[in-house]
Amino acid sequence: MPDFLLARRRGHTALIAALLAVGVSACGGSSGGGGTVNGAGGGDNASSTSDTSASSAARGGTLVVGAEQEPDCADWIAVCAGNIWGSYMMQTTTLPTAFDTREVDGSWTLVPSEVLAGEPEVVVRGGKQTITYEIDPRAVWSDGEPISSADFAYTATQIRDGEGIFDKTGYDQIEKVETPDEKTAVVTMRSTYGPWRALFGGSYSLLPAHLLRGKDRNALMKDGYSFSGGPWKIEKWQKGNSVTLVPNDRYWGAKPKLDKVVFQFIPDTAAAFQALKSGQVQSLYPSPQVDAISQIKNGIPNTRVEVDAATGNLEALWMNNARFPFDSKAVREAVAYAVDREAIVERLYGPLGVEDPAQSFVTPLVGAFAGSDFSRFSADPAKVDEIMEADGWARDGSGIWAKDGRAAEFSIVSLAGNKRRELTEQILQQQLGEAGFKMTIANTTPAELFGKVAPSGDYQLGLWTLIDQYPEPSLSATFSSRSIPTEANGNSGINFMRARIPGVDELLGTVDRSTDQAQRRAASLEADALIAADVPSLPIATVPNVLMTSDSIGGPVSINPSEGPWWNLEEWTRG
Amino acid sequence: MASLLRFSLRRFAWSVPVVLLASFLLFWAVRATFDPVAKLRQGRDAGAVQREIERLGLDRSVPEQYLLWMKGFVTGDWGTSTRTGGSVSSLIGQALWPTVQLMFWGVLLAAFVALAIGVYTAVRQYSAGDYVLSTLAYVGISLPAFWFGLMLIQVLAVWPVQSLGWSEPPFYFVGLHTPGQSGFNLDYLRHLALPLATLTVTLTASWSRFARTAMLDTLSSDYVRTARAKGVPPLAVVMRHALRNALAPFVTIVALDTGVLFGGLIVTEQIYSIPGMGRLFLQSLQAGDVFVLVPWMFVVALAVVFFNLLADVSYALLDPKVKLR
Repeated sequence: MPDFLLARRRGHTALIAALLAVGVSACGGSSGGGGTVNGAGGGDNASSTSDTSASSAARGGTLVVGAEQEPDCADWIAVCAGNIWGSYMMQTTTLPTAFDTREVDGSWTLVPSEVLAGEPEVVVRGGKQTITYEIDPRAVWSDGEPISSADFAYTATQIRDGEGIFDKTGYDQIEKVETPDEKTAVVTMRSTYGPWRALFGGSYSLLPAHLLRGKDRNALMKDGYSFSGGPWKIEKWQKGNSVTLVPNDRYWGAKPKLDKVVFQFIPDTAAAFQALKSGQVQSLYPSPQVDAISQIKNGIPNTRVEVDAATGNLEALWMNNARFPFDSKAVREAVAYAVDREAIVERLYGPLGVEDPAQSFVTPLVGAFAGSDFSRFSADPAKVDEIMEADGWARDGSGIWAKDGRAAEFSIVSLAGNKRRELTEQILQQQLGEAGFKMTIANTTPAELFGKVAPSGDYQLGLWTLIDQYPEPSLSATFSSRSIPTEANGNSGINFMRARIPGVDELLGTVDRSTDQAQRRAASLEADALIAADVPSLPIATVPNVLMTSDSIGGPVSINPSEGPWWNLEEWTRG
Repeated sequence: MASLLRFSLRRFAWSVPVVLLASFLLFWAVRATFDPVAKLRQGRDAGAVQREIERLGLDRSVPEQYLLWMKGFVTGDWGTSTRTGGSVSSLIGQALWPTVQLMFWGVLLAAFVALAIGVYTAVRQYSAGDYVLSTLAYVGISLPAFWFGLMLIQVLAVWPVQSLGWSEPPFYFVGLHTPGQSGFNLDYLRHLALPLATLTVTLTASWSRFARTAMLDTLSSDYVRTARAKGVPPLAVVMRHALRNALAPFVTIVALDTGVLFGGLIVTEQIYSIPGMGRLFLQSLQAGDVFVLVPWMFVVALAVVFFNLLADVSYALLDPKVKLR
């Protein structure tokens, strides 16, 4: 069962939201707010990167990881793009990118990967942006063919011009890719594009042109592929059972220390934890669902638990600004004061040591671009009364606010069967009830929610999660009025709440287009403040990520919020 | 022999309209509850939805769509999964094998044990052994599979490692083989033991009650009394006279339950991470993959009908009183 509903901002389409909803049940997390919980279930706030290499680690050996989801297929730019488990297990480990997400001075940043010889040269001339990538001469595919400019050109055109591509954001701005020589690729954008570092490195990876050009890429990749440009290559994908990775001998960077990594699919959470306890698997990356957190709280012997609260996953209450009663700013503001977000976060994630609610719609993964303007909203019943009464509402006989003969009653929609969400809804129901709002719960399926209900605006209040998958701000897909899904814009955008906040479109446009980081940051912070002032919705919490590893695992074990928990698998060892 | 063949063919002929009706009802029900192009509707390309509707013939009436689908099914074109992009027939083919393995061993073991318990408790009716085994049978019938499965894992796999300090558990519970292993070997048996136990406990419990009742019925019949009066040894009375006649209803219930197992191992397969039919159903249901759901249900329906047919034929073979007509 997918555990959270997720919508990814960069996607600009509801399709992305639903695909992620189905494909993701565990999300990337950063180490920024992380901590390490010991096997007895206690916690501290040490760095989440736990270098356990001091244990008697050695080269060689097999690591077995329990994976709660099996990827549906492995064509990472089309049908199976956005499948986080597939991306973490296979894409990140086997395919090269131009940029990697790394922590620099406490912030997650896209930095040139080992594919590149250095920082690309960026030139803006005549309103067009040119990016020149110099490829490391040592970079080769697993068959010995060089990773070349042709691979950049092939990847860009496959994404820009292909059928059934998951998300063309950014690539649809590419005018041309020139290949003056084998190791130089020059990408020309139609206009300036702020998040250019996410090209060939955000959600997508470079693909080998010499193997795929002129062929059916989907058919060649969907069941796994033998080529690699990363430290690992796929040895075997035994459908329904496991994926096995072995070192790519031709990788030019740091070589893997393990002989083999097996991702064994264990969809049942209870069974996965038992497998860890019995030593059948040595690592888990469980979704922070109620049952998983309960097990962690009880303690898993001989196991380290990395908890990471500073992730790219934001769970929020999404108010439909075009529907009663949330078409009233006063009601939105009163609801924001009625909800005790601290209590919700404590109840959901307290055992993991996570206590602070989110104060911005920009996630910690993109923390440099986030304000904290929502911090003014904390539970305050008196403030609720004041705001509602000032707006002409009065409590009826049952204590519910009413105005012009209409009571402040509404329903909330989320994903049926998601225990964490259902618990959140129950807490909300109680808190809002005490504040004079009557909320009913009407959950549904992912396809219904993201395919129909949210895009069509056929809801009042929603509860779901958005993801920032890499450290580039992307509020425009969620808060720009141009991102309200309509027939006119081809139903693109995930401004499902129909928010129209004066001044925000321009600021978010600057964030998207400017190549000046300082200017982008200033615009983002300003937009964040305007959003908080209008309260179109309410951020609740960033969903923490949890990585559990047996004591027998050595190496710098940590969660990369963009690339997942196995981003540095080549450094892991078995003691 | 000829009459048995005629009987079987007649029963088979009767099964055809049942299968067709079942397949139409399944097709109609899935079409009525799932939108085959739901995924595409969420995209920005509005034209893609219409193109897909035309390509798949979704603009036609349900009976027309059904005929198209059935034609494809019969000719081996079961369609493409929207979830994986792969062929549905290969997905179902891959999922069938682990389920068939579980079923084969489960039914074999449960039938053997249940029959033994049934015979013993009938012959020793109202003995201490009868009471103990009957009580255990009721406990087995009422055990929830998911709970029992998790208990087995805890007791037989986790505790030996955690409490006894064993370096590895005596039984595994993830899949049917350790990655890299295959075939019938010790690794397979260590993986098979716990799911098999989970599956067989309920089957054994309920089947043993059927076996006991059937045996009691035959043991109290006139011909058994006659055999005893004629001095036939007790073991021969039970094995040759009573058991043979008790087998007919027992085999019938085993065959009927076996057909249902094709799609009924969802919990066992989920707990033990076995990529069988149950797990395929769950995954397809969650993804709204109608192109897998319809053939999946049809294959399960075919299995149920086939095992019903098998039950009829077995009954006719085992019970001479049944006329083959």
